[in-house]
Amino acid sequence: MYRHLFKLIWNKRKQNSLLMSEILVSFLVIFAVFTLLVYNYQNYRKPMGVDYENVWVINYDGDIGIKDNDSINIFYETLRRNIKSMPEVKEVVFSSNNIPFAPVTMQNGFDYNNKHISHVNSYTVEDSYKDVLNLKMAEGRWFNKTDAVTRYQPVIINRSLKEVMFGREGAVGKVYGEGADHNKKQVIGVVEDIKFKGDYAEAGYAHFVRADTASFRWLSRMMIKVTSGADATFEGRLYKLLAGQMKNSNIEIEHLANKRKNINYFALVPMIVLSIVSCFLIINVALGLFGVLWYNISRRRGEIGLRRAIGATGKSVSSQLVMEAMILTTFSLIIGTFFAIQFPLLNVFNLSAGIYLTALGLSVLFIYLLVMVCAFYPGKQAAAIYPAVALHEE
Amino acid sequence: MLKNYFKIAIAVLKRRKFFTFISLFGISFTLTVLIVLTAFIDKVVGDDYPDKKRDRSLYITSIEEIGKDSHSSSPPSYYFLNRYAASLKTPEKITLFSGFSGTNTYINNKKIAINYKYTDANYWEILEYKFLEGKPYTRQQIDNGERVAVISADMKKEYFGDVASVVGKYIEADNIKYKVSGVVKNLPITSYLLYSDIYLPFTVAKRDYKHKAYLGDCMAILLAPSKRDVSKMHTEYEQVVSKVPMENGQFTSIFSHASSYIEGYVDTGNEKSSGVTIALSVIGGFVFLFMLLPTLNLVNINITRIMERSSEIGVRKAFGASSRTLVYQFIVENIILTLLGGLIGIVLSLIALYLINNANLIPNLDLTINFTVLFCGLLVCLIFGLLSGVYPAWRMSKLNVVTALKAQ
Repeated sequence: MYRHLFKLIWNKRKQNSLLMSEILVSFLVIFAVFTLLVYNYQNYRKPMGVDYENVWVINYDGDIGIKDNDSINIFYETLRRNIKSMPEVKEVVFSSNNIPFAPVTMQNGFDYNNKHISHVNSYTVEDSYKDVLNLKMAEGRWFNKTDAVTRYQPVIINRSLKEVMFGREGAVGKVYGEGADHNKKQVIGVVEDIKFKGDYAEAGYAHFVRADTASFRWLSRMMIKVTSGADATFEGRLYKLLAGQMKNSNIEIEHLANKRKNINYFALVPMIVLSIVSCFLIINVALGLFGVLWYNISRRRGEIGLRRAIGATGKSVSSQLVMEAMILTTFSLIIGTFFAIQFPLLNVFNLSAGIYLTALGLSVLFIYLLVMVCAFYPGKQAAAIYPAVALHEE
Repeated sequence: MLKNYFKIAIAVLKRRKFFTFISLFGISFTLTVLIVLTAFIDKVVGDDYPDKKRDRSLYITSIEEIGKDSHSSSPPSYYFLNRYAASLKTPEKITLFSGFSGTNTYINNKKIAINYKYTDANYWEILEYKFLEGKPYTRQQIDNGERVAVISADMKKEYFGDVASVVGKYIEADNIKYKVSGVVKNLPITSYLLYSDIYLPFTVAKRDYKHKAYLGDCMAILLAPSKRDVSKMHTEYEQVVSKVPMENGQFTSIFSHASSYIEGYVDTGNEKSSGVTIALSVIGGFVFLFMLLPTLNLVNINITRIMERSSEIGVRKAFGASSRTLVYQFIVENIILTLLGGLIGIVLSLIALYLINNANLIPNLDLTINFTVLFCGLLVCLIFGLLSGVYPAWRMSKLNVVTALKAQ
């Protein structure tokens, strides 16, 4: 039966080649859209890793015009005490400016056991960072006062980095880096992944370094955890306090929850626009396919009538037509899959193979369904052809 | 002759309404998306408010320092621009201004987020902001370090409410009171080089804006005396930058370019990857894929429709019509069809643009169909008609008279 169908398709190869290329191109478009959707959905399913409610961000200029390191430290410690003395404030932390949901990235490379890992985000933070953002530890502990004087520089890494660097074995206590002891780094804890770039982005690799007394020269973000009752009146008071103390600096207070919304927007808008556009494209293609299949069947009335006359049931006629369309689709999908499979093979865009394969599976299924739906009605029409009427026309 | 073709085309359209619907749906929808896309691009990079002298301006928006293991890029500092760009001979005028950054103010227990930007006096001469009231601050006021500000119409409404005039009133931002000297028409945030809620003189900046470093957050516009001098100005800046001493031993080369608005707009901050190439290939790829699918669809449907008319073709051929006449006729018919789809598409895009503007996705970004966009749309329509008409017509014209007539 299949050989017969192949022959039928081959006889009309010119017309079918156009249909096939149309299916092929729609498959590629659908594949691209599904890849994006699957990627975003997989990221969305993972936990955020931080509590962003009731956390405020204060942007200030790091350069406050004081030269001496000790004086800088005294200045910031006083500021911290004053902020913490407000009843609405639970905790304060100073940080480098790559805070969660900020479009700022600081990355460097990582070497361990001759393995090089690039694009590792580096965050300089204080001991209270964990409490302000409510981070969850997977292993080991967060920074504390005992880390001020140590043989190696203590660092904390996130789970993704730990898995790629140390695999299944425990990371706590591992030392890496080159040169003298104080240049080497020792892992003291592993923290659960944090999605720094919003709900739809990957957590990426991260390592945290403890801010020391020299860091205050360049740190330029504060995050404070406030009580749920903190309102705009309090914010105004806090603002006056900050502006009064940091006379040389411009100050801006933002809410972490709003920053999350804004950064999600950048992921959502392209996704929505692409989905709408491809939806219309698919409707377009579906209508086209439907029209062409329908027309083909009305041209083959004679052939179908003859088949019915020599005993084929209506069901077998309609299934033959649907099968023809499916075989055609299979050809296009084989070619399309050949192109699509290059993405995981060549590791384009650095996405994991799983995402591409899921997207591939989904798009194959989608195209089959689409063609089936388009072929079903014309097939049914064909089944309704009466041999006497069809053959009479000839 | 054409009139005849037109009549036949309309008759054919009426015959198979379903196919006509598919064709028109495909054409008009594709055109709608393309028109919205071009309207967006046209507004974002083509709108010349307030920099009307764009054709004789060059923009310096970034500086890049590269060493063996290090690489940093950002907008240049005031110090760098003042020292190396402000001393150029060719430009007629130069303005330095900072990028916008945010701060807050609190009135009546309400928080207002404010974006501010520092400028010099030339800024108001080179850029033709539309002043709804008042006027820009003067060079004199800047030199005296007076706390004066130019604010946007949106800011006026948000801070002062619905009042007639605010010139001379005080606006508090960043805990400092500034005297309002003028109100300007709003800019959408997509013109990020020039966008801001309030504009302040450099001299009132809290931090030392003349800080000695190459990297900072300043930008410059160089205005040439005439269009002819633009390339000379570009070369002069390149030469100056090539002689700039390294900031420290870490770096081995410095890049900074005076480029046109579009190049500056899509600058990636990386010497090796050009923003223009990336933007063009992304948009080009999208448009190509996006048009390929409906075109294939149309070709498919057109072939089906033309084959349906094989008897007509056979008869015409039998009476001596040449292949060329037939191809010509079918292409004209197809163009009529696409133009009809185009008309529907233009109506649809008017509705789409209206909806997008009403949704206010980006404040102050009012998308409109202008003549460029309309022209683009019509051109796209014609290309569409030709693309989807030529192949079917060619296939049809090769039809044998005998087979064509026998088919019935």
